[in-house]
Formats: sequence, C-alpha cells, structure tokens
Amino acid sequence: MEKKIIFESVNCGDVLPEVRQMVNQEVIWQHAAGSMDYNPVHNNPEWCKTAQVFGLPVTVMHGNQTMSLMCKVVTNWAYPSGGRLKRIESKLVRPVPVDATCIYGATVTEKHPIGKGKDFVTLDIWAKDEQGNTVGVAEAEVYLP
Amino acid sequence: MGYLEEMAKYHKSAKQKEFGADFLVKEDIDQYEFWDEIEIGKESELPMKFEVKAEDLVAYAEGVPDDNPIFYDEAYARKCGHDGIVAHPMFGTQVGFFLMRKGHGSWIRTPGARNPGQIIEYYDPIKVGDILTMKIKGHDKWIKRGKYYMRYMTETFDQHGNLKIRYYVTLILPRTREDVLKFLKGEHALQA
Repeated sequence: MEKKIIFESVNCGDVLPEVRQMVNQEVIWQHAAGSMDYNPVHNNPEWCKTAQVFGLPVTVMHGNQTMSLMCKVVTNWAYPSGGRLKRIESKLVRPVPVDATCIYGATVTEKHPIGKGKDFVTLDIWAKDEQGNTVGVAEAEVYLP
Repeated sequence: MGYLEEMAKYHKSAKQKEFGADFLVKEDIDQYEFWDEIEIGKESELPMKFEVKAEDLVAYAEGVPDDNPIFYDEAYARKCGHDGIVAHPMFGTQVGFFLMRKGHGSWIRTPGARNPGQIIEYYDPIKVGDILTMKIKGHDKWIKRGKYYMRYMTETFDQHGNLKIRYYVTLILPRTREDVLKFLKGEHALQA
C-alpha cells in the first residue's frame, strides 16, 4: 500500500500528484455510458457540426468528466488512506474539445483540526489543457484520518 | 456504425442496457421542463429507486477513466478503511440521470445545455446494496451575461432514510421550448 496520508502529516502548500488524461471520442462515449449523460453535445459528432452549442463544430468532453478527473487527484491521494470527500464546488470555465489532453492537480490550502474523525483539509484543484489554459477549477474539502 | 451503436459497446450493467441513450427523441423532449417554465420552490420525491450494484459503481469508475482498485476490489477497499468498494465522488451523476429521466427534473437532459460547474456535499458514503431515492427542489434560476442558469437542490437517501449526498445540479439552458426544439433539429439556438 502507498504511504499513508494522515491529517497530521499534511501541510498547507502541499502539492498533490498530477493526473493527465487524453480524451478522444471513445473516452467520451465510455464516460457517457458510465454517467448516463447522453447529451448529444458530447456524443453525436454529426449533430455538433451544426448545433455548435459551444461555438465549436465538434463534440466536447462532459463537464462532469472534468470534475471526475479533478476528483481523481483527490481519490488517488487520500482514498487509499481512508480519506474521503466532504464537499466539492467546481467552476467549469472553458469547453474541452474532443482529442484534447488535460492535466489535473491540486494544492492543500487549509487545515481544519476539528477532532479525530472530523479533521479535514481544503484543496484548490485545477484542470488545464496542454496550452496552459485553465478549463476548470474547484475547491474541495477532504476528511483525512 | 452510428454513435448510438458505438456507445452501446460500453453498456455492461443492467441499468445501462435498460436506459435509453438517445436524448434526441422529440416525444421525450416534449415532456421536458423548460427554463422559462420551471418553478423555484417546487419539490417532489422522484418515483423511481436506484438499487446500487457493484457493476454500477464499476461502470462509473471505468467511465472516468479511473483504475484505482478502491473502485473495483472490495478486499483492497476494506483494507484502506472503506466499507466495501467505493463509489466514485461523481457517481451521483449516474444516479441523477437514471432517476430524473421524466417529469420533474427532466431539464437535466436538455439538448443545448451547458455545465457551468457543480456543488456536491457528501454525507454517508454510497455503497453496494443501498436503495437510493431522490428528493428534488427548484433552488434558483438566474440570468447572467445573457445566459439562463438553472439550479436544483437534490438530496439522495438510502432505504434507512440516511442522507447520502446533497447535489446542487446546475446547468445553463436554452431559454424556451422553441429554442430546445431548434437544437433537436441540430440548429444553434443560444444568444450568449
């Protein structure tokens, strides 16, 4: 098992390991199946050529897939130690067109020493495309053992 | 092969196979709620239930994609301190789309909708064997920079009445039925 993450060992400013994901149409379709979000803006390339919901003639990644990959930064880091999310609030600021690659990361910004079993940290999470454009941000609260 | 057949390759769970993947069916869209008709404060308990199976949790994790064994391997997850295989933090998306397919809350399926970001509060972890029900309530709607925002508060409970998650589902929607029907035909119908 990985090195255990516990509340006492975490400090403000700690940077979590990043996640990287290329999203082609197959990856989007599998996310549609997993989430049951079958909106054509993600799944139907022909429809997107004219509908252009985001002003683009191509499909775009689900916003909740961006959120899911931001969560992956947290679940990779805290869940093998028994941590779990308490709250997350995201803002999705830029559509991610099919075949893009994005990078996801996070930094610890706050520690909340409430008591054993209730201690949590706050993270600033970001998602950027390969050109460095921010596509999404989130603030997450995470219980740690 | 059309896009619906392509997506069907990923339908493994019983719920995925039963759920309709075509969100461009006019008869369904005619029954949706539209931004300018949605009542804030209106609440209801959705009629369907969602019995959580391991295959549902696995389907979501595969769709992230995330191969962390906490989502697949019960023994590993328990060793890590969890109460069985873990529901991915965004698993509530699958639950919401499954339960909000008709009637109140059906605006979630609107062609032309955009996702500006979501708020989720976690209470009791979702686990295999939970039988989930959902209460929903029109929470807020607003106009900002010419865009029409819609927010519902949804609360998901298990069969024992425990609150599992509170999920503020938020979308930017086409404003009217006529706008949505343009999108149905593949026409752009947003002013901002």
